[in-house]
Amino acid sequence: MNILYATLGFIGIYTYVSFASLLWEGIDRKLVARMQRRVGPPLLQPFYDFLKLVSKESIIPRDANRFFELAPVLALATSIALLAYTPLGFEPLFGTKGDVILFVYLLTLIGFLRVIGAVSSGSPYAQIGAQREMIILVSREGPMMLALFTILWRLNGLGVTKPFSMGTFYEHNVWELGTPMSVIGTVILLFVFLAWLASEIEVGYFDIPEAETELAEGTMAEYSGRHLALFDLASAIKAFVSASLVVAVFFPWGISGYLDLIGLPAMVVDLLFHTLKVFTVLFVSMTIFRTVTGRLRITQATNLFWTRLLPASMVGALLLVIDALGVIA
Amino acid sequence: MNGRLEYWVKVPIGPIHPALEEPEKFIITLDGERIIHVDVKLGYNLRGLEWIAMRRNYIQILYLAERICGICSFSHNHTYSRAVEEMAGIQVPERAEYIRVIVGELERIHSHLLNLGVVGHTIGYDTVLHLSWLARERVMDILEAIGGNRVNYSVNMIGGVRRNIEEKHKRAILDMVKYYRNEVMPKIEEIFLYDPTVEARLRDAGVIPKRIAIEYSAQGPTARGSGVKKDVRYNEKLSVYPDLGVKPVTPKEFTGVVKGDVFDRMVVRVGELWQSMDTIERAIDQMPEGKIKAVPKDNALLFQLKKADGEGIGRYEAPRGELIHYVKGQKGKDVPAKWKMREPTFPNLFAIARALVGEQVADVPVAIASIDPCLSCTDRVAVIDANTGRKKILTEKDLLKLSIEKTRELNPEVKAKPEVIGVGCPRGGAL
Repeated sequence: MNILYATLGFIGIYTYVSFASLLWEGIDRKLVARMQRRVGPPLLQPFYDFLKLVSKESIIPRDANRFFELAPVLALATSIALLAYTPLGFEPLFGTKGDVILFVYLLTLIGFLRVIGAVSSGSPYAQIGAQREMIILVSREGPMMLALFTILWRLNGLGVTKPFSMGTFYEHNVWELGTPMSVIGTVILLFVFLAWLASEIEVGYFDIPEAETELAEGTMAEYSGRHLALFDLASAIKAFVSASLVVAVFFPWGISGYLDLIGLPAMVVDLLFHTLKVFTVLFVSMTIFRTVTGRLRITQATNLFWTRLLPASMVGALLLVIDALGVIA
Repeated sequence: MNGRLEYWVKVPIGPIHPALEEPEKFIITLDGERIIHVDVKLGYNLRGLEWIAMRRNYIQILYLAERICGICSFSHNHTYSRAVEEMAGIQVPERAEYIRVIVGELERIHSHLLNLGVVGHTIGYDTVLHLSWLARERVMDILEAIGGNRVNYSVNMIGGVRRNIEEKHKRAILDMVKYYRNEVMPKIEEIFLYDPTVEARLRDAGVIPKRIAIEYSAQGPTARGSGVKKDVRYNEKLSVYPDLGVKPVTPKEFTGVVKGDVFDRMVVRVGELWQSMDTIERAIDQMPEGKIKAVPKDNALLFQLKKADGEGIGRYEAPRGELIHYVKGQKGKDVPAKWKMREPTFPNLFAIARALVGEQVADVPVAIASIDPCLSCTDRVAVIDANTGRKKILTEKDLLKLSIEKTRELNPEVKAKPEVIGVGCPRGGAL
């Protein structure tokens, strides 16, 4: 019976997140347009785009192989599976100990499937886009994983029921430590996470694999119709999920406790509040970031990850570790 | 070395590509992200303008020249007018020269703002695109007030100008200059001289060394960005420009170094925006009263041109570089025997293609955009690809023959010899 409820809840969450992530895309486009003194598309434009694309014929290139058609389906499937382990204002429905590792794995898998699809399309633009995506993929996960696992390790010390799970963040949060050194470390890690988020959703500096003016949408160059729609939805969900991770790590507070709610109403209220926080994080990391920056070269972006963000992540992690071990009393 | 060859990829950029505003084709050979070789293919935008011109009289060609390109619509018909004036020996009134300077500089402002936006867009910095094009609206409004159109202002006439600049125009222009000085230029300078993203992307991208710029005869901001002091308005003491103190702008005056990269070309454009505004103010100040046309009536002008024989060359520093028009007249006819132009994009394209070798593929769009290519100006010679893959370069004679054949096929009524349709400009007399 419990499994049945969880499944029903999961379907509900999937519907809600698809809606919310596409809505965010609309809000983002509108906000960017307003910042650029444009009118911008209507808020529901991503929905129209999605519905239109679904109804359109999908053109398969002559040189494409089977994975070209398979990749978008797998990408969407992965992003849906990802939702089962995503903190959404409450502990993930299928959360167990160690689900953080699965979460990171699935998140990376979406990027990997994009590469598979692009390589299978046989287009030189997609090929270059795939190369770039691959390079960025291996560069961006390092700093983020170091930061994430340090925080989880630190929170473990406070005593949690399921170690290394997303649920950890709703039992303790990293600000609770309270010592000056840990606060400084956390702020540094927050910065690393925001930069990682921007690169995960590929905006601003990191709009490199899709680089419209350089590679004509790069990895997505050959996709059209249904397949493109699936990828679009997968990317939108991925943006929401990535931001959810940042929210869960740094801003996990819910409001249901203050309203004296329990059970389903509490979950709904927390989910709505969580969505608000996700939109705020995305506003900083996506909307503002892509309005005030341009694209970097791939070499510069890689450089940024390995020589700026990774050291920053290390410094933040070390601060947390030193604080925990009490080396400097 | 042969083993490496296998990894080389040929990527076509164009004829249709989001980075390009106009159809042109670059075949880029890549080794990873590094460029090994760049091949330029032209001819996707051929409209047969010179052929069309053979069926128009001198005054009608003015409006055709304007439509060669949407951005330098003034430059083309200005240069053409200069060529015809030289051929027919017509003296242009001084006031007309001043009006030409003012409109020419207004056009330079709108062209440079457009290019700054385009370069912003090619590096994915769309905010720059939208805001600089928003700023550009103001100068477009002024041009509309003067010429009646946002793009094809039709200000020029052989031997003068068609539109006067009155008090209200002067006030509007001075207001505009003030607006640009106080509100737009500080932001433009902040973006193109100090913004870290822009500097990261534009510095050391698409470097054209001074030697290459001279060898390939690069023009305009492309040459000046490489430190070549080349500006027709200054070097040739063109029209009234010496009185207005126009000097070639090089990046040295702004940043102190000349590297010849995309950044420097943009710096030159920013500098020229300042220079254009100064020039406009001075021109408005010094503009004498007087008539604006050497020959007031268009049919009288046409009659005078009919008698003219010989050839004339017009030169002008268009926003993209030196523009040359050559006109050869024939006695007893109001049609030029030959009209030919050389656009700045042509030498610039090959210079930039040479400069791209050894750079990254990410630099291609921004380097191409940095010369502000105008392919609708450049493409007037066709390279025909046969279906078999065989290529044949047609000479002008072949093209003429083919187009006559085609015209006959479409409309047997038209006689084989190019003929003039109509006499003079029907609306010309009334204006």
